[in-house]
Amino acid sequence: MSWTLGIDVGGTFTDVCAYEPATGLTHYHKRPSTPQNPAEAILAGIAELCEATGLHPRDIGRIAHGTTVATNALIEQRPCRVALVTTEGFRDLLEIGRQVRPSIYDLQKDNPPPLVPRHLRFEVAERVTRGGRIVRPLEAEEVDRVAAAVAAAEPDAVAVCLLFSYLTDAHEQRLGEALRRAMPGIEISLSCEVRPEFREYERLSTTVLNAYLQPIMSAYLGRLESGIAEAVGPVPLGINQSSGGLISAARARTFPIRTALSGPAAGVAGAVHLTRQIGEPNAITLDIGGTSSDVALLRGFAANTVHERWVEGYPVRMPSVDIDAIGAGGGSIAWVDTDGLVKVGPRSAGAVPGPACYGRGGTQPTVSDANLVLGRLSAGGLLSGSMPMQVEAADAVIGELAAATGLSPEWTALGIIDIAVANMVRGIRAISVERGHDPRDFTLIAYGGAGPLHAASVARALGIRKIMVPRHPGLLCAQGLIVADQLEHFVRTVHLPLDDRLGDALAPVLTELRAEAGAWFAAQDVAAGDARTEATLEMRYLGQNFELAVPYPDDGAADRAALEAAFSTAHDEAYGFHNPGAPIEITSVRIAASGRHHRDVDPVHTEPGATAPPTPIATRPVWFDRSGAVETVIYDRARLAHGHRIVGPAIIDQLDTTTVIFPRDVATVDLRHNLLIEVSA
Amino acid sequence: MSRPPELAPETQLDPITLEVILSGLRSVTDETYIALMKSAFSTNIKERNDHSTALIDPAGRMISLCERSQPIHLSSMLGLTGALLRKYDLDAFRPGDIFVSNDPYTADGSHLPDINFSMPVFVDGELLCFMCNIAHHADIGGMAPGSMSGGMTEIYQEGLRIPPVRLFAEGRMVEDLFEVLLLNARVPDERRGDYYAQIASCKLGERRIQELAATHGRARLAAAFDQLIARTHARMLKAIANVPPGDYVFKDVMDDDGFGAQSMPIAIKVTVGDPALEGRIRCDFAGSSPAVLGNINVPFRALQSSVVYAMRALLDPDVPSNQGMLDAIEIDAPAGSILNAAFPAAVAGRANTCQRVIDVVLGALAPALPDRAVGAANGANTAVIFSGTDGETGRSYVYLETVGGGFGGRATKDGKDGVQVHLINTSNLPVEAIETEYPLLVEAYGFVPDSGGAGTHRGGLGLRRVVRPVGHTTVFTGQGERFLNPPWGVFGGAPGGTGGFKLREADGTVHDMPTKPGLTPITPQQALIVETAGAGGYGPPEQRSPAERAEDLGSEKFTANFMAKHYGKDK
Repeated sequence: MSWTLGIDVGGTFTDVCAYEPATGLTHYHKRPSTPQNPAEAILAGIAELCEATGLHPRDIGRIAHGTTVATNALIEQRPCRVALVTTEGFRDLLEIGRQVRPSIYDLQKDNPPPLVPRHLRFEVAERVTRGGRIVRPLEAEEVDRVAAAVAAAEPDAVAVCLLFSYLTDAHEQRLGEALRRAMPGIEISLSCEVRPEFREYERLSTTVLNAYLQPIMSAYLGRLESGIAEAVGPVPLGINQSSGGLISAARARTFPIRTALSGPAAGVAGAVHLTRQIGEPNAITLDIGGTSSDVALLRGFAANTVHERWVEGYPVRMPSVDIDAIGAGGGSIAWVDTDGLVKVGPRSAGAVPGPACYGRGGTQPTVSDANLVLGRLSAGGLLSGSMPMQVEAADAVIGELAAATGLSPEWTALGIIDIAVANMVRGIRAISVERGHDPRDFTLIAYGGAGPLHAASVARALGIRKIMVPRHPGLLCAQGLIVADQLEHFVRTVHLPLDDRLGDALAPVLTELRAEAGAWFAAQDVAAGDARTEATLEMRYLGQNFELAVPYPDDGAADRAALEAAFSTAHDEAYGFHNPGAPIEITSVRIAASGRHHRDVDPVHTEPGATAPPTPIATRPVWFDRSGAVETVIYDRARLAHGHRIVGPAIIDQLDTTTVIFPRDVATVDLRHNLLIEVSA
Repeated sequence: MSRPPELAPETQLDPITLEVILSGLRSVTDETYIALMKSAFSTNIKERNDHSTALIDPAGRMISLCERSQPIHLSSMLGLTGALLRKYDLDAFRPGDIFVSNDPYTADGSHLPDINFSMPVFVDGELLCFMCNIAHHADIGGMAPGSMSGGMTEIYQEGLRIPPVRLFAEGRMVEDLFEVLLLNARVPDERRGDYYAQIASCKLGERRIQELAATHGRARLAAAFDQLIARTHARMLKAIANVPPGDYVFKDVMDDDGFGAQSMPIAIKVTVGDPALEGRIRCDFAGSSPAVLGNINVPFRALQSSVVYAMRALLDPDVPSNQGMLDAIEIDAPAGSILNAAFPAAVAGRANTCQRVIDVVLGALAPALPDRAVGAANGANTAVIFSGTDGETGRSYVYLETVGGGFGGRATKDGKDGVQVHLINTSNLPVEAIETEYPLLVEAYGFVPDSGGAGTHRGGLGLRRVVRPVGHTTVFTGQGERFLNPPWGVFGGAPGGTGGFKLREADGTVHDMPTKPGLTPITPQQALIVETAGAGGYGPPEQRSPAERAEDLGSEKFTANFMAKHYGKDK
């Protein structure tokens, strides 16, 4: 029972990482995903890993899982009959949303359709207003009428969202009870349970999405759990949630919307773990895949949490790791616009047909083709040998674009990468300014199949000086699952002024939230030494509508001046100024509760630093800029050892990625075999 | 940091270098847009995003407009910088200067609540460009809270007029001016916060442009400005060449101006293929109404923004909105007309007329571009403004909101129900925010049944909102359009429903209000009902599929009566 499994399911690959805390030993296994039934690849992956390594399934004590089931269901618009109950007069709110169009100029583009059609949206006579005051009570006959009408519609799931239920939930609760009585076996999502927060449309959308995902998630987890029980035994299964901690499978069934960003959040958890190991508190993660790139900002060894985001065109009010997707990746297609300018993306060659160099029928030039033409990618493909490259195909498609631009093929290929990098940089800059940070102060952590290939260019354009490439850039998500904590947020919306009476006003709220956290620790079997809570206040200037999170001291000593100073600092960081003396209010109180699973251990094979320089496995001409190709040494990542130092130009190949070391940049290998690259000025 | 050698100005940049520079310029307008949004105080900017950012060159040409900008802001930003360039010699600009203005007649603004900022940006001691932004302030003084209501007849009643003046001189704030700005607006604390946000946005832009110049070189950036404009211009000419040559005429009317003028014509003749145009497209608004007393007159800059929006949507939605695009469109409107207002005409409500301008451009070109044509949309910027004092908190309040409506039927699908249309794409304010911040209760917010025009692809439905003051008498002012003249359909599609303001009395009786009501008290026993117009359909109704007809009825968006009337009794 000594091993922990981290299992990340992506669109293309299912990754399994096994870890034994006592010894620090790890095993990895990568296999193709089975999108029709993701559980199949998971169970096969566990069996294959056990067979390859001699690990006995009964020695597995715990499984942590990152899933894309929720997002895939939304992308595919899988049918699910959801009914909605809402306050009288607001049946159309779900469809109106914020009354905006997704594109100002494109007259043909629409938002995705509402997940509940109008005839399944039921109004209920009741009303609560400001301060949680009931201005129209919910009558018993009305509860019965609505429950009967909803039941008669025979939905697969039901969402209930009433105005101001984040302040007064009595009406939603009574409707919930009646609906559960009327429809035993059907999941009922109440907005006051899913996310009791201010702003009715975002709360409504979140609640409806949760209801929509319940039957889908329930079926999936059912298959997965029975498969695991059979193959491994009755071990706990933790599902990674969007906010970056594990929740029980039961909780994921009740609140599937919490897993909307499960997989990418695991990657960020892995990256956070790395920042601690290398002692760099501030980092930008860059996970470049085939069609897009995921970016997250880490500060003080932690990822930011955002409380609202868009999931496949629908707003979700839910804490999640602050990750942004940028529409540029290795498969992004380069094309000439009608004004003659060269564009890269947003269209991508995807996995099928893929870039021309994959030889699977791709006929348009992509970023990967450009990397091959420049010699940055090996003509032999990745070291796994699984995918030899078609150099002629890449030459042909890049050559066509070159003819259109009037530049040489190599300059065109350099240009494709420059433009793709410019798109990523534009995205990262927007994210940085939105968070109030200057990217120059951060370390770039590059992973995903194409992250290490472009990291140096991205870093240079952002003024970043340090890059870190983990030992297994393609397995960071699975690794992140191994180190993930069990996590939960408890929140109350309040409206309190920042004054000397704040501490007294907050005390009962915090006591209540801490009691909820305590009950949760008990339910999750978290030992006292591994339990941690952190309180934060969401604060804003009176009249502002964006809040900033300010930590609240554990001892409850609510020093007004200290809180005001902390808020001013946060406001300065976010917006570049603060308003001395302006009234401040607190809009909500949060407790983040975490139960620690993982304790970092030093690697077992602590070797002395290598003294001899590493031995190259080959050399080839590589283009780094317009001045021409440079004969460049190629290294095998697997043969690099702690202490090795490589001065660019160099290329480092490994099973799942390629790292480019630019001329004068210096790469060193650390104790854990991470690659640290100093970017030259 | 090393930078490439400077270029001779005539050097042609390759299409890859240009694209990388363009991406950098877009990054600057993105970042300044986000910075302004995140640091603003008023819901109008932070929630409804009624703001924009742009880069303009020392010749007054648009270089890069943030893609999230409100389209109506485009020309107004050009207006301030153009006015500055007329007023000052280039050597009068100094690093650290920031200019402010809003006036349509001395600073080419488009209405007073839209306050423009422009900051000259210097690189190596030379003026490279202006970093510009614009934000709609919730109040700029004048006779009515919100500075937008009906009932105003000259510019002086609409608020504080700011000519092009320095708010910062060489990095130091002109405090005396700032005091004047704050004193002349309601809720000065909110104004201060929004002004600071605009200043911060300018300064961030200045820094980022200087970083960009450090990477690419000043001369290379300046050369890129010229070449991006030239390429965009050629791109637009190509798009125009796809429109069959000819004269296309269309006419619509405005409901009224609130002062007795009614059914004022908005007329257009679009000309394509006239050799004198050298490939450009011309919009001539001769035959449109003279300016009116009410405040729905359009300054020329706002007319230009409207036409540019319509052309971009029809011809090439992805075209960059730089000067090369603007120069491909020639616009004529009679001086002193409702579409080219002269001092001292009132203009606060010009967005309603601008929406109608877009309708006539789309209507005129519908026969030429049937695949891209749409039925007339809500075509208004229906504004509701409530003000008063909250009995619970003792605070005075001004609450302004614009309500969307129907979007027209399209060649392949129905129009959208209940959205902001065309020029306007601002969010609504959450009901929970309205009721928390203001002593108001929103009784209902939904679609207006039967308001979407019938068609093969039907028009979208209008919106309906019912608002009741709580514990006090609120003062309501409003501006509505397409309350009297319905949005037309195309290719046989039927018109959509009209909107209206209505007052519900304590006994439940409802009576109509004017389309542009001035200060109107509403007691807690009464309620204000606002309904916006739907939109016109596309194609003959008889060709609508049975499945879609069943959905129209089943969703209760349309009544059985309506279905029978427009689609026959067989369904």
